[in-house]
Amino acid sequence: MVGLSVGEKHFIQGGIAQDLRSDGRKRLTYRPIYVETGVIPQAHGSARVRLGATDVIASVKAELGKPSALQPDKGNIAIYVDCSPTAAPMFEGRGAEELSTELSVALQRCLLGGKSGAGAGIDPTSLVVVEGKVCWDLYIDGLVISSDGNLLDALAAAIKAALSNTGIPKVDVAADATSDEQPEVNISDEEFLQFDTSGIPVIVTLTKVGRHYIVDATSEEESQMSSAVSISVNRKGHICGLTKRGGVGLDPSIILDMISVAKHVSEQLINKLDSEIAAAEASEEES
Amino acid sequence: MAAKPGSAPVTYSPNLGQKTRPPIFKDNDLDWVRPDGRGFHQCRPAFFRTGAVNSASGSAYAELGSTKVIVSVFGPRESKKAMMYSDTGRLNCNVSYTTFATPVRGQGSDHKEFSSMLHKALEGAIMLETFPKTTVDVFALVLESGGSDLPVVISCASLALADAGIMMYDLVAAVSVVNVFGKNLVIDPVLEEESYQDGSLMLTCMPSRYEVTQLTFTGEWSTPDINEAMQLCLDACNKLGKVMRTCLKEAASGSQE
Repeated sequence: MVGLSVGEKHFIQGGIAQDLRSDGRKRLTYRPIYVETGVIPQAHGSARVRLGATDVIASVKAELGKPSALQPDKGNIAIYVDCSPTAAPMFEGRGAEELSTELSVALQRCLLGGKSGAGAGIDPTSLVVVEGKVCWDLYIDGLVISSDGNLLDALAAAIKAALSNTGIPKVDVAADATSDEQPEVNISDEEFLQFDTSGIPVIVTLTKVGRHYIVDATSEEESQMSSAVSISVNRKGHICGLTKRGGVGLDPSIILDMISVAKHVSEQLINKLDSEIAAAEASEEES
Repeated sequence: MAAKPGSAPVTYSPNLGQKTRPPIFKDNDLDWVRPDGRGFHQCRPAFFRTGAVNSASGSAYAELGSTKVIVSVFGPRESKKAMMYSDTGRLNCNVSYTTFATPVRGQGSDHKEFSSMLHKALEGAIMLETFPKTTVDVFALVLESGGSDLPVVISCASLALADAGIMMYDLVAAVSVVNVFGKNLVIDPVLEEESYQDGSLMLTCMPSRYEVTQLTFTGEWSTPDINEAMQLCLDACNKLGKVMRTCLKEAASGSQE
């Protein structure tokens, strides 16, 4: 994937061991993060997040649908990620399928919580319009435009920003609807409802290179990893999901250590991201 | 394929070291018993048998409660021509369900998510450098889905790999724990418990190396819960590993006779 000479590999590994990485960062420092909201006018909410040379877009579309028979009090949320061939030639055709599925599954696991909906970033019960009859189906799509490592963290940040940018149209239900018929609904063009996005977790990926682990790895650094653990943490400091990549096994005590480091890092990341989102929203309103 | 009624399957249940087991019934869920009458920290009896498919290089059958899985391993055989040269071996995993595995008749199609999880859980345990330029295929079929399907598939697949004589660092044992009603940790859940879960944790590890090959969480977890759940899983994996080892030993001594 990344062609590196032996010297370059040693340079990356040695830098990480000495807590000074190739781009001057420390092991637990993120690259500067830039957020832009409202980039896709066709969607109900959208955001673009740049993390160094990694560039991703997330869009949120809402459609009225029917809740599933098993869970009549919950709306449906779907998350899909697409890797565009513009990011790398290997994403062409079916080449991106494996990575796309892996990212989609990881995001679903980290953002949607357990089967009962507990611990989810977005409360699925808030999407219900009429219980058992009408609900909002939320389609969250991520697109990778340019890839320079740490896609999962960038995508999670973009989804968080896109959701805080999302306005769901207010729906009025015709009051005279009989119990067994599909009720008539009236979608308002002017009034929009916003999500409470404070509970949406961020994802911190810790990449293990040698004996140390780093956050926000570039693709060069990712090529040297032995394994990576992506941990999603919400504002309360609770773990909302965890996925491991890479073939090499880890000692259980290292994983617990990684979890506590991720919690610590996530506090700063959440604050940074929230202020970036607020700034992006403000500049969007001005223009 | 089922266990003979005479031979009682080997059971295992993890203990929590010196920690006393929390009371099974808490104040406000006095009426809640697990559907199959197990304790919260007790696994289902595990039954493993190798050599289920004659034409495969190695195969295994696993049955935990009503979860029934069959895994066959083919290879190492030559990688497809289109594949680039690789000086380590390739692992190709596929998990599929039969159409009659689930309560509602399913499509019986491949399960992409499970396939990639199986791959990630196993690749760390196999010495891929021992069969360069070749591919090992692992095909898993869930005959009946009774909960904790993926952990059973993973454990069964590592047994099938061992049966095929693929070099491994250790067997891979997998166990899952779910968090029911936000406070009870329930190990090795059945289908019904999985549908009520608030969060789940799956851990696969190599018991004798004490190394975690794969770990996934869903739902919201606090740190003490994570510690407890991981300890519970590691302990159960250890015991499951012993059951798997016994099965391999039995198969080996049986073939010598």
